[in-house]
Amino acid sequence: MALVLKRTDMKELAQLYDRISMCTQCGNCKYGYEYGPTENFAAMLCPQGDKYQFEAYRGSKGKAALAKGLLSGMIEWSDKAAHIIFTCIGCGACVEMCETDIKDYLQRMFEALKSEAWKQNVAIPEGVRKWSSTIRENRNPYLEKHEDRLNWLPASIRESLPKKAEYIYFVGCTASYRQKNIALATVKLLQKLKIDFTIVPDEWCCASPLLRTGQYDIAKEFIEHNRELLGKYGASAFITTCAGCYRTLSIDYQKDPPEGYTDKFGKSNFKVIHTIQLVEEMIKKGEVEFEGSFNYVVTYHDPCHLGRHAKVYDSPRNVLQAIPGLKLVEMYRSKKFSFCCGAGGGVRGGFPDYSIETAIKRIREAESTGASIITCVCPFCWRNLNDAINASKSSMKMMDITEILEPIIKRK
Amino acid sequence: MARGSKEILQKLEQIVGPDYVSNEEAVLLPYSWDLTWTEPRMPDYVVMPKTVTEIQRILRLANHYRIPVIPYVNATNIGGLCVPEEGGIVIDLKRMDRIIKIDPETCYAVIEPGVSHAQLSAALKATNPQWEGYEFSKGFEFGWGVHPASASVLAMAINHGIGHLNGRLGINSQLISSMEVVLPTGEVVKLGSCAFSDSWHSFLPLPRMDGLFVGWMGTTGIVTKLGIWIFPIRPYKDVLTIAAETAYDMTRYMVHWRHYSLCDEVTAVSWWLAQIPIPYPYQEKPKDVPEWFSYTVISGWSEEELEYKRKMWKKVVEEERARGTKLIDFEYPPEAKRGRTELPSRIIGSTKNYSKSCGGGLAWPGTFAPCKSWPILYEKWKEIYIRHNLSPAVRFTDFQGAHYGMLRAMTPFDKRDPDSVRRAKEAMIECIRVGIPLGMLPYKPPVEFVNELNARADPGYIYLLTKIKDMLDPNNIMNPGKLGIR
Repeated sequence: MALVLKRTDMKELAQLYDRISMCTQCGNCKYGYEYGPTENFAAMLCPQGDKYQFEAYRGSKGKAALAKGLLSGMIEWSDKAAHIIFTCIGCGACVEMCETDIKDYLQRMFEALKSEAWKQNVAIPEGVRKWSSTIRENRNPYLEKHEDRLNWLPASIRESLPKKAEYIYFVGCTASYRQKNIALATVKLLQKLKIDFTIVPDEWCCASPLLRTGQYDIAKEFIEHNRELLGKYGASAFITTCAGCYRTLSIDYQKDPPEGYTDKFGKSNFKVIHTIQLVEEMIKKGEVEFEGSFNYVVTYHDPCHLGRHAKVYDSPRNVLQAIPGLKLVEMYRSKKFSFCCGAGGGVRGGFPDYSIETAIKRIREAESTGASIITCVCPFCWRNLNDAINASKSSMKMMDITEILEPIIKRK
Repeated sequence: MARGSKEILQKLEQIVGPDYVSNEEAVLLPYSWDLTWTEPRMPDYVVMPKTVTEIQRILRLANHYRIPVIPYVNATNIGGLCVPEEGGIVIDLKRMDRIIKIDPETCYAVIEPGVSHAQLSAALKATNPQWEGYEFSKGFEFGWGVHPASASVLAMAINHGIGHLNGRLGINSQLISSMEVVLPTGEVVKLGSCAFSDSWHSFLPLPRMDGLFVGWMGTTGIVTKLGIWIFPIRPYKDVLTIAAETAYDMTRYMVHWRHYSLCDEVTAVSWWLAQIPIPYPYQEKPKDVPEWFSYTVISGWSEEELEYKRKMWKKVVEEERARGTKLIDFEYPPEAKRGRTELPSRIIGSTKNYSKSCGGGLAWPGTFAPCKSWPILYEKWKEIYIRHNLSPAVRFTDFQGAHYGMLRAMTPFDKRDPDSVRRAKEAMIECIRVGIPLGMLPYKPPVEFVNELNARADPGYIYLLTKIKDMLDPNNIMNPGKLGIR
């Protein structure tokens, strides 16, 4: 029996079928692996597969099988199909392992599957449905009011910021409404580094949660709005401390498929800098100095959106290694073989228990390094890992790199 | 959508817990097919046991209700072995993933079915050969094949999989040293030295009852633990390459070279298999390039040992040239060389070489054949493949000496196109048909190949095969249909 494309009505998925069909179901994607004279790595990297185990859940093989089955009419949509689709975090570990020509299209396929699921009468996770129903009104997925977005910002700082500046600090929803500590540390850091920046009251969600859960129509409004901000405030680039915002603004807004979504939302062309890249550049140029030390053993968690998705692995490590007193130790699963914190792809909202369970696995791995602090450069990872620290009664402490840097760095 | 019966589902849930059973089509779907043209068939349940006791209980249940049972780990066998011909219960064994023991003194390991090549190679590389704590060298290895690293070591070994040491040591089923099996009727048996002590080092000098479970494609029981011999990694390696105009000339060179038993592997591939990807549909070979390319991997404990092997290899090439064998010098691409000396490899282990841009289909007439028949069958297969608009991407590999070796044709095809699926299937069955009279035997064969084999088999062979199967599996629940006799 051939897997003939029958369900052309599933347009988002059907347009990818040529690529989806290239998945041989070989299973390379199910396990992280590298072997050679200097390499000897083998570990489970797929959080979804680690949790649910069945082939359908493990690596990209299962999702590609599901897509083929749905498009060829071998199976029908069901709540279980939705569960398989929505428990995929989109961490990209399977993409790293894939060696066939579907590789570059896998993230798009995961999101296209979710997009099609919304059109069916199947069980979209309640948590995802809930924030999705209010995001248009609130401009954030936290069910908070848009007008409260800058409440974290002390009035004194707010008043000192220029109306127009070289950079817009794109705060992101998690730092604005939940991890305000990171937003505040970032602002203080940028001020100490004497960066010409401002914060804008009409920043909307970057659309990452919408794209990662396949909600293209709503995402369009957000992308069209945010891309106008630089022009409106006379800025030349966005600075962000959020890995999710960085991935979305730099890839989804700007790159052609399969990486980005210019086919759906048009092409944007602007500069996006993660705070950590900014600091790294200033350290390299000798523009900053440290006025104290940080005498702790620290391990770094690679956020999937900054690491595997955007290939930024070295900048955070270079910055951490430049901090006096800090000892950086690596987890076994790091860089391209990092293990996800469990928050992305709508999973934290949709499946909180599974999300925290995944984060606890990561905390256990961090503990095994002997570090007392786990750091990252993503408020969303910070939040999930910190919740896991509390839930598992770990003695580790969660810190964003900006929180480590801000008290001890200054511009020369 | 759910399949099967609620009653059976509940009983399976009672055995392994509700998280590890499903009868939902969306979960069952990946268990219904593999890379090949084997007709997809949906199982009714998938169950993921963690212990031998759970397997026993599942098999007793299946026997009671006469439900087919299909053992499964990764299903990358390219023969449809795990496709449930008659539905039933897929037993996905990947939760049984313990490396139970690595004995660095007696040089064996004991593994469960879910242990992947990735897992085992990493663990073996980190274990050093030693005696009473004195370490001789760094790391162990097993026969690593050219497949995804997620594949099961146990499943590969008991199904006659080949590895990178097959020229020196034979195929992986020859490297098995002991086993534990759950019989279809639920009893647990130990075979080999492990039946008498906790030492899993050898089957000999006992009767080779492991033969009741090796090469039977999961139709006679479920192997739950396997002892395998492991080998010290030799620190010096090299890959030597030579091309030839014809399959005859290539075979003459290979037979001569392996006569000295100096290589870990000697393999030759036709021009079509040397391309990445294999041309699909068929493309004519450029006239100015050789038709056959070979590599041989040599290894040693010192540069001197390696140099001696290089010298002997050059002598063979010179002697063959002197007697008229047309051998052509060529350089192996660095990536390919790396892949051959660093197995299991992500590069070679993937299927990108075979299936890029071809709609995800991959199958083979994979056979063991006497070397004499390689060039004869290659010419026959080439005609068949070209007639079916497929590239004759053929490989010869010698197994441990002068007796026999592998002859196979990697065949990408487009699973989206019914005509492409049909052509690939028909071509391969025709290849098997012409090969059997010349001594060729398909390994890990799909049912269609088994039927060809059985049609030509000695009646006594079929009689005993049937008798053993009936004795071990009276209700024919184990992977039914795969032997072509029930």
